[in-house]
Amino acid sequence: MTEQSETIVQEPLWKIKLRLWLKEFKRNWALFRERKIAIFGLSVIIFFAVFGIIYPLYPTIMKNVFWKDDIISYETFTPYDPIIGFDPNIFDHPSPPSLVHPLGTDPLGRDVLSMVMYSTPREFVLGITAALITVVIGTIIGASSAYYGGVVDTFFMRLADIVMLFPSLAILMVLSAFIELTLFRLALIIGILAGFGSITIVLKAQALTVKVRPFIEAAKSTGASDAYIILKHIIPNILPLSFLYMMLNVTGAIFTEAVLSFLGLANIRMSWGVIIHMAESSGYLMGSSIGTYWWLWVPAGACITLLCSAFYFLGRGLEEIVNPRLRKR
Amino acid sequence: MLLSVKNLKMHYKTKMGYVRAVDSISFDLDSGEGLGIVGESGCGKTSVSMTILRLLPDNAEFKGGEVLFDNGNGEPVNLVSLAESEMRRYRWKGISMIFQAAMNSLNPVYKVGDQIVEAIQNHFPDTPTDVAKKKVAELFRLVGLDPTRMEQYPHQYSGGMKQRAVIAMALSCDPRIIIADEPTTALDVIVQDRILREIRAIQKKLNMAMIYISHDIAVIAEVSDRIAVMYAGKFVELADSVTIFKRPMHPYTYGLMHAFPSVTGKKVDLVTIPGEPPDLLAPPRGCRFYPRCPKGDKLCEEKDPEYVEVDKGHFLACHHPVQPGEVVQFNAE
Amino acid sequence: MLKFFSKRIVQIVILLFIYVTIVYWLMEAMPGSFTDKYLMNPKITPEIRQNLAKQFGLDKPAFTRYLYYMKNFLKLDLGISFSYFPKKVSSLIFERLPRTVFLFVTATLVSYILGYNLGKRAAWRRGKILDKTATFVGIVFWTIFLPLLAIFNIWLFGVILKILPLNQFINPNVWRETNLSAQNIFLKLLLNAFIFLVVMMISLIFAQRVKTVAAKRTIVLLSAVVTLSVSIILWTSTGLGIYALDIILHMVLPVFTLTLYSFAGSMLVMRDTMLEVVREDYVVTAKAKGLPDRVVRDKHAARNALLPLITNFVISLGFTLSGGIITETMFSWPGLGRAYLEALNSQDTPLLIGLLVFTGIFVLLAHLIADVLYAFLDPRIRY
Ligand SMILES: Nc1ncnc2c1ncn2[C@@H]1O[C@H](COP(=O)(O)OP(=O)(O)O)[C@@H](O)[C@H]1O
Ligand SMILES: [Mg+2]
Repeated sequence: MTEQSETIVQEPLWKIKLRLWLKEFKRNWALFRERKIAIFGLSVIIFFAVFGIIYPLYPTIMKNVFWKDDIISYETFTPYDPIIGFDPNIFDHPSPPSLVHPLGTDPLGRDVLSMVMYSTPREFVLGITAALITVVIGTIIGASSAYYGGVVDTFFMRLADIVMLFPSLAILMVLSAFIELTLFRLALIIGILAGFGSITIVLKAQALTVKVRPFIEAAKSTGASDAYIILKHIIPNILPLSFLYMMLNVTGAIFTEAVLSFLGLANIRMSWGVIIHMAESSGYLMGSSIGTYWWLWVPAGACITLLCSAFYFLGRGLEEIVNPRLRKR
Repeated sequence: MLLSVKNLKMHYKTKMGYVRAVDSISFDLDSGEGLGIVGESGCGKTSVSMTILRLLPDNAEFKGGEVLFDNGNGEPVNLVSLAESEMRRYRWKGISMIFQAAMNSLNPVYKVGDQIVEAIQNHFPDTPTDVAKKKVAELFRLVGLDPTRMEQYPHQYSGGMKQRAVIAMALSCDPRIIIADEPTTALDVIVQDRILREIRAIQKKLNMAMIYISHDIAVIAEVSDRIAVMYAGKFVELADSVTIFKRPMHPYTYGLMHAFPSVTGKKVDLVTIPGEPPDLLAPPRGCRFYPRCPKGDKLCEEKDPEYVEVDKGHFLACHHPVQPGEVVQFNAE
Repeated sequence: MLKFFSKRIVQIVILLFIYVTIVYWLMEAMPGSFTDKYLMNPKITPEIRQNLAKQFGLDKPAFTRYLYYMKNFLKLDLGISFSYFPKKVSSLIFERLPRTVFLFVTATLVSYILGYNLGKRAAWRRGKILDKTATFVGIVFWTIFLPLLAIFNIWLFGVILKILPLNQFINPNVWRETNLSAQNIFLKLLLNAFIFLVVMMISLIFAQRVKTVAAKRTIVLLSAVVTLSVSIILWTSTGLGIYALDIILHMVLPVFTLTLYSFAGSMLVMRDTMLEVVREDYVVTAKAKGLPDRVVRDKHAARNALLPLITNFVISLGFTLSGGIITETMFSWPGLGRAYLEALNSQDTPLLIGLLVFTGIFVLLAHLIADVLYAFLDPRIRY
């Protein structure tokens, strides 16, 4: 009897924690699986992830299938390069979809599918980096504002008011005039601007409900430091909501990048927005030729829309797990 | 017979299966009578009243039974087979309700008086607004509210006042039956008692039938002529209140009369009998009270006792009724 | 009440002050400060240049210049545009403003009416076909790449169906033989729309008083039809009809696109709030009172879900400029958004600052109006 209880105690803490966590995860997964919308979102995201990862295979395979017999061209041309590629065998660029170029070529003779695939991982990096920055800032500020209250709270809440006053796209456009908006910088700026905005207000409200729970008092009475309480007790409890906002912010970041690139204001060499900008700036979106050259804008536009909505769908699916009040009984 | 409920069955569909909240409930109600329904919370009391009024949530499934309501002109109507548009006419005018959460029964964005006028004009569309308002003022006086408060919003009322307003609202269409579902649980004890007495007085004065629902048999006893004891979706005993107190026959009723210290130490007020009520998703095969019953045996485990009239007006579902003078010992594990 | 609003106004003034300051310094940080641009523009004569230099303190250090700008700002003078010299920034804004406002107010009104109605129905019949389709389609449009939607609509309605003009504000062929100004006609249209709105509001308030649903409908429909036919008769009898029609036709596509793009925002908010409200006891009570399903849904449930919708509306106003930039570019619509893009391309700093500052004022005013609306809609809120 005593032996048995000792063995139970001897089970390492991390194992117990892991088991608890797994149980929680299983329960949430069951809830999540019921939400078809969220499953749809997740599937689309996974599809795009795979789509982006297998990109390197695409040029190799295509080149070996269609260019192998043409020894000279095979060695001199890189027809499937998304940035400097050019297909000399086709006289009229942009050319419509064909076997050699499944989604046609753009006015510069580049393969559209190659450009779309090449951009995919970049969109992920941008969206997730920006959202991560936003959520980290928002969570820390939200938790500290709720915990400390007073001056800290007032300062950050007023700051959020001001940040929310700025039309973000318009400000980014101005910034583009004196900062070279590379992919990473863009992610950084989008992330920071959003991080001090409305997300802090939402997360603070959530953190306030955590702050009044008894275990915070208990932790305080044991002499835990403020930073420890915020990190160990408050933040873990608002993390689900933060995660939810992260999903929604990925949508916003990808959209913003696409618009800036589309307006030709970002300094990004290739992205879905850049592809559409290319079509617009070379006049293929004007007047009645829009429909004729559809492959220049439909694939990239569809990708932006699909990936953005996928993250949004996922976010909404998670919302019902995070916010039980929305749950169906 | 004003209301006659026969074998009423309603289950909630959930992910885990069916919650058998109302399982073959039968009872009669005469005009002018006060019937009490008592049972631990979660046993399905609210579900019974909601099934009668057909105000069920989406996941509720009606599984059979009849609710015969005598609307005063000949043939009683079966409420469960009416079309929704027909059913609407019986709500509030035929059977009205004082809800469990009376505090939240008033819409915060409309004046209290207007919400009652709305109910009156819904059932009597030809009533001019000023006549309806006069009626509301009368009702306010009847339940002890200042009629000038009609023009105020719910948030300007205290808890007790809201309760009275809700009672006035329940009376507004001169219903033949009022169901009061734990009408006073949210109030403090003194106010609770007074309001309950006032409801009873009004009921007697207007000669209405009333169904009182509570988890507390002491509360119910004062105001009802007959008492039904409910356990896990079923009625286990029904008799006039004197008999129920003097000579309870079901061990569960007996247990309710004799307070036992709570075992878990958590549920101080509600649970007086050791053990937990059964999971309505998978209730025991035989008698539902069997796992907690000191008198339970093989028969109880195997076979669900039938709900029959054992004495005149005394209904019971038990294989081994408590005999007069018998002392049943609930062993607190 | 008075105390609350005076406090609120003081708050707004402080916010605005900080906002303008940040905007100003942001622009100062732009390469090639706008001083130089003023001084180098050949269109500007030396005297004017000196006057300008004096007015804006262009010869002074940056901080003094800022003080000058703030002084002018307090006098409601936003300066003079560089690219449209010598037009004042404020007059430029007020010329463009009605176009953007008309576009967005129409689109916003339509999408909120749509969102409110779809949202409440979706929540009322949760999990049913309408709920599922509306949510799915709504989110797809809500997250669609706006330029893509614009291109698609132009292609579908302008190129394939040929029922609507592709873009621009007016069709020059129609306006060739007249010396009427498009702006003039447009303002008249705006007045007309405003009168229409007022009439509809009054009839809606009237409709609240009558009892039966049929009577309500008749009142609203009748007043809509009467106002519309009177307007149409007036326009045709003055012979201005074709010009007005031309402007309206050019508006249809942008408004349609914006509505499609934004209705889901309000719909989702309405749906989510409704889902919480329908659990409230007063909704069950309303049903128990024997009220018809529609009355329970509209009068008791939806009415209580309005507040978050208003918040959402105010927030969405903040995106007017951003949304305007994209939409107006796609449809070559000469509004504020286009002006912003042009100002950016020609580095017209005063106009840029002016536009940003104006947007800020606009949003802050919207917040104030939202406060008033809250108090009006929720008796529990009293300032
Ligand atoms: N909408 C629902 N879905 C599933 N189960 C429900 C629902 N409403 C109530 N229940 C369950 O039905 C049982 C009876 O509930 P209720 O009628 O409210 O009991 P009481 O009023 O006696 O407290 C409880 O076990 C409760 O958990
Ligand atoms: Mg109950």
